[in-house]
Amino acid sequence: MRRMKAGPERRDVAAVLLEEFGGSDVRVRDESWRYSKTALRALAQHEFAVADPRAELPAALTDRFDWAETRGRRIVFVNGTFSPAYSDGGALAGVSIDHAADSATLKFAGNAELVHLVFASIPGPQPARWNAKLDIRVCARGMHVIEQHVGAAGADVLGALQSHVDIAEQGEAQLSTLCDLPDSVSLYRHNRADIAGDGVFATAQALFGGRLQRHEAIVKLAGSRSRHSARGAFVLRGRQHVDVHLDVRHLARDTASDVVWRGVADQRARGILHGAITVAPGADGADARLQTKNLLLSPHAEIDAQPVLEIHADEVKASHGATVGQLDDIALFYLRSRGIPAAAARGLLIGGFCREVFADIADADLRSRLEAAIGTHLPQPGEDTP
Amino acid sequence: MLNIDNLHVCVAGKEILKGLSLVVNAGEVHAIMGPNGAGKSTLGNVLAGREGYEITAGSVEYAGRNLLDLEPEQRAAEGLFLAFQYPVEIPGVNNTYFLKAALNAQRKHRGEPELDSMQFLKSVREKLRVLHIPDDLMSRAVNAGFSGGEKKRNEIFQMALLAPKLAILDETDSGLDIDALKMVADGVNAMRDPQRAFVVITHYQRLLDYIVPDFVHVMVDGRIVESGDKSLALKLEEHGYAWIADRHAPHESRAGAA
Repeated sequence: MRRMKAGPERRDVAAVLLEEFGGSDVRVRDESWRYSKTALRALAQHEFAVADPRAELPAALTDRFDWAETRGRRIVFVNGTFSPAYSDGGALAGVSIDHAADSATLKFAGNAELVHLVFASIPGPQPARWNAKLDIRVCARGMHVIEQHVGAAGADVLGALQSHVDIAEQGEAQLSTLCDLPDSVSLYRHNRADIAGDGVFATAQALFGGRLQRHEAIVKLAGSRSRHSARGAFVLRGRQHVDVHLDVRHLARDTASDVVWRGVADQRARGILHGAITVAPGADGADARLQTKNLLLSPHAEIDAQPVLEIHADEVKASHGATVGQLDDIALFYLRSRGIPAAAARGLLIGGFCREVFADIADADLRSRLEAAIGTHLPQPGEDTP
Repeated sequence: MLNIDNLHVCVAGKEILKGLSLVVNAGEVHAIMGPNGAGKSTLGNVLAGREGYEITAGSVEYAGRNLLDLEPEQRAAEGLFLAFQYPVEIPGVNNTYFLKAALNAQRKHRGEPELDSMQFLKSVREKLRVLHIPDDLMSRAVNAGFSGGEKKRNEIFQMALLAPKLAILDETDSGLDIDALKMVADGVNAMRDPQRAFVVITHYQRLLDYIVPDFVHVMVDGRIVESGDKSLALKLEEHGYAWIADRHAPHESRAGAA
């Protein structure tokens, strides 16, 4: 994956993106953006102001992240800025948190801690942008970070979140992401993870909505016997656009990665799933698996699935597969032959297709929230699918 | 209950059923036997309403209605059930959710009150016991990772739960060992009822030792060429399908049949 031209350290990533795609066009030839540059360029035609960090959140929005199981463990960012007013972090004993205006550093030292991070995108009178940085350091086991993105509809908002997860030797962390955005919000998320020896990093992501969602993940299996698993699904409709770039690098001996994604696109939606696995010279004993399956529900929807495997070591187990298809007619007939009406049968099949990837998430509360979110984004009975 | 008259069906432009007629009354068990490619499974699929089958002539009347006008889910709600030859795996959809949705959709269609979870589970447990199916089946995804025998037993379990008026069993015996075969037969026999009819499609006479049919029909090249009682199945077992072919002088279309 190409580094950002301005370097990931530069603070105002949203402004950089708008400038590079709007005015100067320097990014137009960047291969990794080929499917999304048009969408970003359209966004960049507008003037974006800095989003208001003191914006009020409508009650309907706070309800969406006020989860009983994370009370006392919630940190809320409004338009990229830490908001003491909406946060509720009293029970976070084993986690130290340093806040700057638009960045946070989380250090997990104890075992089995749960933190719920909420990023709210709130529109202003004109298009607005925000940036945030997140630094997560894990040196114990059983850490779980939930990263939730919500937004209110209105003028365009472009958010950019850069995060870095650093897992020390034998550290274990799960990062679960739920992005459920209105069609006026665009979101760029760039995540880097470094996993030291015997460390474990597991991710789960459910992406819905948004005008443009771009997610980049670079995971480095830097220490021997480090492991990474990634599960994800996107469910898109209308003209929604989600662009996922996964880049897993096996750099040490006996490392393992296991990536499973599902994509669903209806109407005129567009999904991109680029999954790259690299096994570096000397990283023998690597076990790398990448599987993506995608469903197109309309002749106007499009999903581009690109698995890329690059292997420079000898003793390696690697497999990858990517499929794009339509709903299975025989499965649909099977359900209907049992009395389930056609629209409900379609919903069952699509829901099952996505939920399957989250079946092994240990946190039952989170799993049911992800499944419920999938349920609300499925095509509804009677809805027109052009 | 079911009246099929001179049914002609094409699949992808090729005629598979070539004037099939069959009358099934309530309370009867009909066995349909025949060699590979005779059109047995096509018959089951056409009756259940699968897409891709073009009906070029003939009629199918079911419970006083034109069956061919109904959507598959309407046929199910009106009491028709097809046990699939190859039950479909549906990852991510658990059996409890699927069967409750199916049962309640059927009840709703018929104007009956939907079952709540307690009533549903009570009904499920009784049927599981009869078929010797472990309870954990209900928390698993539909047919996903099931063995061949488990899938077939699951079909019969679904049939028991949905309690159809007309059940079509499409080679439910294929791939079953003798114990599983007996369980399937027990499941069917427990449901035999003066109000209910079965059409049992099979290659082998073996199943009919356990599910004793009232009528046996032999299907060759898209139509029923011989009908009789259960002794016909025994004769077939003894002489093979060649015996039927010999008894029915070659007609014009046989030259092209495989």
